[in-house]
Amino acid sequence: MAKAKVTFSDVNVTVNVPVGTRIIELSEAVGSYIAYNCREGDCGVCLFEVTKGQENLSELTAVEKSVLRARFQEIMDGWRATPDIAALQAKMQRENFAGKHCRLACQTQVFGDVTVAPL
Amino acid sequence: MSPIWLSERVQWVGAFDPAMRSFDIVLKTPNGTTYNAYAVRGSEGVAVIDTVKAECADQFFARLEAVASYDEITTIVLNHLEPDHTGALPELMRRAPQARLYISQSAQLMLKALLNRLDLDYTTVGTDDTVSLGDRTLRFLHTPYLHWPDTQCTYLDEEFILFSGDVFGCHFCDDRLFNDRVGDFRFAFEYYYAHIMRPFREHVVNALALIEPLVINIIAPTHGPILRDQPRRYLQRYRELSGQRLQSELRADEKTMVIFYISAYGSTTQMAQVIREGAEQVAGVRVSLYDMEGGDVDLFIDLVEDASAIVIGSPTINGDAVKPAWDLMSSFANINVRGKLAGAFGSFGWSGEAVRMIEDRMRGLKMRVPLDGIRIKLIPSAEELEQCRAFGLALAQHLMGVNAPRVVEMADLFAAKQQAANELNATIT
Repeated sequence: MAKAKVTFSDVNVTVNVPVGTRIIELSEAVGSYIAYNCREGDCGVCLFEVTKGQENLSELTAVEKSVLRARFQEIMDGWRATPDIAALQAKMQRENFAGKHCRLACQTQVFGDVTVAPL
Repeated sequence: MSPIWLSERVQWVGAFDPAMRSFDIVLKTPNGTTYNAYAVRGSEGVAVIDTVKAECADQFFARLEAVASYDEITTIVLNHLEPDHTGALPELMRRAPQARLYISQSAQLMLKALLNRLDLDYTTVGTDDTVSLGDRTLRFLHTPYLHWPDTQCTYLDEEFILFSGDVFGCHFCDDRLFNDRVGDFRFAFEYYYAHIMRPFREHVVNALALIEPLVINIIAPTHGPILRDQPRRYLQRYRELSGQRLQSELRADEKTMVIFYISAYGSTTQMAQVIREGAEQVAGVRVSLYDMEGGDVDLFIDLVEDASAIVIGSPTINGDAVKPAWDLMSSFANINVRGKLAGAFGSFGWSGEAVRMIEDRMRGLKMRVPLDGIRIKLIPSAEELEQCRAFGLALAQHLMGVNAPRVVEMADLFAAKQQAANELNATIT
């Protein structure tokens, strides 16, 4: 089976995994600081940052998109006072709602080498 | 059943529940409790702030009727939706259908689930939103997770009264109601903080930052005495209780590890001592060693709350970790341990399940368990003690973020778990 390397930079551990593995299957076992709660894409707690190999991850799932959009809404609400809300909105949308390099550990599958870290 | 006056315009319309002896399963209430609800009269309407438990609704309505008629009520504020404060809400809404309901953002779903009604109309409010009663103004403070996601406080601008919800409350029933007149309730106040607010310490700190700048004449919580004599003393006490006690004695580059252990014949004790020696080789790690046999869980959780890493050692007796270890870990629910580094170890005679069970509990509490714990059969050999030393060292390196890079196979990550499962099966068959 094809293999990939997932490096958790906060704990300095690299795991050789079969492709298709989800980040959350590993993060707890290596003791990474990537937090989690519901494990099914509901709560958004397991948001993490991809520092290398973004292109080697699965596409955003529908549930992931909606959670990221909700986070985005939270940020928007916090910015109600911004002078140019449309520009902010456009920027957030370009950057994948919650930030370009942010994904949910419970949704994201690995298809090639990648380096990840807690937010 | 008369209302009790806080000021000319503000009345207590709550209920006394002196016979209550345990609350929410987890709290003992030797003094019973009160459910505090309040009525505020403005020139253009009356607001009701919180209600009472359903069983006590008669007291609430009798007191409310003595200060206002239902058609005068324009506003209902819910600072917290737990049933002991919303039990009388459906009936209040029926009697005062014109009143507008004000709740926090996160209260919305709870409100629907509590009342099982979808046709509800309400307004959500956040910090500095206000509701006018004419010559009286209610101002809201967003203070979530004290002790539910929905909690908020309400401040009466013109009279400097803080309706705080469960914060600053306690279970203490005394019909003299004001803190300068009731009996000694210090124990109840501290006990309430320790069991209700303490798990949410960070949120308490955030709330205090919002509350402390206010001018406060009276703190009016939803349980227990109304704090009108030196209300700031209670803010101060919350500050002390929510502060990190140990931090002031630690240097910025230091972290602490606490090793709890218990031992039947001294093997797990030996392991604990050597793990400490290993951990102390790493600069900046301060290690404390506690024998669970010689202490009390209530005192230990103070240590756990302030420590960065928790290591627990237990022998395996009858296929399980021993009771003091479980007692300690069950008390972790009273504080926040999420994200703390954790590890386990122990000696065993036959099967040695304790270590994996402890690790599972730690992971269940969302502590970080980076290394498989050490299990040693009976009395540790010199070589096995060296493994313990290496384990202590590696844990401490993880704690300080100086651990050497490690490459592992995914299968190996779960090998220990698999091994434990296999052994368990072997024991059963």
